[in-house]
Amino acid sequence: MEQEIAGTAAEGQEIGQVSAEFDAALSDGLLEKIPEKKPKRKKFDTEEIYGTLFAAIPLIGFCIFGLVPLILAFAMAFLDMGTGWDIGSAEWAGFKNFAYLFTTAADEVGISIFEAIGNTIILGISTFISQILALAVAYLLSRDIKGRGIWRIIYFIPYVCSVVAITIMWRYMFNPSYGIINQILGNTDIMNGAIDWTDDPGIFYVTINIISIWSGMGYGILLYTAALTNVNQSSLEAAEIDGAGPFTKFFRIVLPSISPTTFYLLIMGVIGMLQSFTVTNVFDSNGGPEKHGITIVFFMYQYLYDWQNVGVASAASWVLAALILAVTLIQFFGSRRWVKYDK
Amino acid sequence: MTSNYEIPAEETALPAAETAPARKEKGPKMRSGKKMKIVTKAVIYAVLAFYALVILFPFLIVIITSMKTWQDAVSSEFSWVPSMGFTAEGYKEVFTYKASPDSSLPSLVNGFFNTLLYVLPPTILGLFTSSLSAYAFSKLRFRAKKWMYSLLLGTMMIPGTIMIVPQYVIYDSIGWINTPLPLMIPGMFGAAACVFFMRQFYAGIPDSLIEASKLDGLGYFGIFFRIMVPLAVPALLAQGLLGFIGGYNDYLGPLLYLHEDHLYTLQVALNNIADTYERRSNVVMAASIVALVPMLIVYFFTQRFFISGIVASGLKD
Repeated sequence: MEQEIAGTAAEGQEIGQVSAEFDAALSDGLLEKIPEKKPKRKKFDTEEIYGTLFAAIPLIGFCIFGLVPLILAFAMAFLDMGTGWDIGSAEWAGFKNFAYLFTTAADEVGISIFEAIGNTIILGISTFISQILALAVAYLLSRDIKGRGIWRIIYFIPYVCSVVAITIMWRYMFNPSYGIINQILGNTDIMNGAIDWTDDPGIFYVTINIISIWSGMGYGILLYTAALTNVNQSSLEAAEIDGAGPFTKFFRIVLPSISPTTFYLLIMGVIGMLQSFTVTNVFDSNGGPEKHGITIVFFMYQYLYDWQNVGVASAASWVLAALILAVTLIQFFGSRRWVKYDK
Repeated sequence: MTSNYEIPAEETALPAAETAPARKEKGPKMRSGKKMKIVTKAVIYAVLAFYALVILFPFLIVIITSMKTWQDAVSSEFSWVPSMGFTAEGYKEVFTYKASPDSSLPSLVNGFFNTLLYVLPPTILGLFTSSLSAYAFSKLRFRAKKWMYSLLLGTMMIPGTIMIVPQYVIYDSIGWINTPLPLMIPGMFGAAACVFFMRQFYAGIPDSLIEASKLDGLGYFGIFFRIMVPLAVPALLAQGLLGFIGGYNDYLGPLLYLHEDHLYTLQVALNNIADTYERRSNVVMAASIVALVPMLIVYFFTQRFFISGIVASGLKD
């Protein structure tokens, strides 16, 4: 300690001397500034306080509006609150809500929670299709073409449009009797244009998936185009010299080097897909033909809002949380095999 | 097509060099040494044009339908030029329909103003708090920095829908149901994703600049407002737009918390009109167009920031 202090003092003197020798005019300013920088201790304290305070604001928000509800979410699955949302009337229910969720709930909603999970997954196939299509479009965009910006602006339009408006628009176009889609198909004699897009339970899945692909591709195209511009050009050229064809180049060089983007899109897409609600709810607030539009969140929504049974709704959100956690973990561990990050 | 289509051309997306990985001025990527064959090129343009058509076609259909009489709109034979002529009937209906007779504004207009009222304050305030927090995480030294940051990133992993049920119960018990407060207050504390993005941006601002302003006598707020914020305007704009579009298009939140006509947001009001005018498709399509146009205008004027913001927040994660 003593040595250090002595050291700094000596340094100060030294610098003072040097600057005085070299430039008399500057020396005053320098001498004043150098000792000012030294006593760090005091400054560090205000920095500590301000830093912690500034940084804490979003965390405080999270504690109030995220952590408290999160803890409550776990507790409420084991409480019986009767009908309504009054937590004051809660009684301990044990696993009753879960038993209810897996049995009686199916009669009330019309489908079981497992069928709702199935619906969510089938309605979410679009996530994967739109990702593959987005990569294809982005790859074409990354070629030597004109007007890249304009194409991209057009392709991104659905992303900024509200899902409500888009769903309403498509529902009109898919209408079996006067919708334009059946008329186009009728004109070209595909199935004679007699497809029941809105009321046939099986085709309903296809309808919703088409809407989701149409509106979901823009985001993937955007991220993929950005990722493709960062693919190492010299390794592509090297591969070409070695005689690699376009397919080899794509699968061996391009695909691995954009794998972080693929992974990001996949994980965000799947997490979003498991929480889907708006499209099917707007399309048919009763849940669609044979309740094929009832997703997990739709199921929760009905219990929270229509049946006002908070315990069962919480139990359903447990199921959703477990599902999302499981899928995320599988993807993270699986990603070690195929995602390559640049060092 | 307005001139907005022209401006962006090659340069569109990628923003100020700091916001996204710099796009080098090397021209088109993926380009092999030799020029593409003309046939290949033609196929590529054909595919791109077809996809653009797929995107734009529904809008065309909807715009035409919105200008028809309702009889023409639900005719089993789609007509590009309606038999009963074009009419503004649908739009008139949209701008006069009131869900409850005692409201002063038409439902959709009321919904639009409600949306602005609910979305703008949390977007702007949240941008401020997120960016203040990002400033601390990127430029200030404090002991808890590391774990606070990990905690913040951790919160991004929690799917929002899991908290719907308990949040509803909490808001109900403090009397926030049927008020816009659940849609507004939480966002004012900032968003983890925004902090994350802004931190990346601020980290690129040289420390020497901050040291220099300290010597000039600026305090922590001074540095934030005079140095960090002015430098970050494009990034802030990008994040602000992203926040705004999210709030503008939100459906589940307003659907859960607002149960009275005069409180509805644009999206909920739109869905109600679609239910009310089930058979009069011209009105429903006109309402959709009216709901979409404000956001589309914002998009075309700001797509540069918009797209760059999305690319940057996606790539850096």
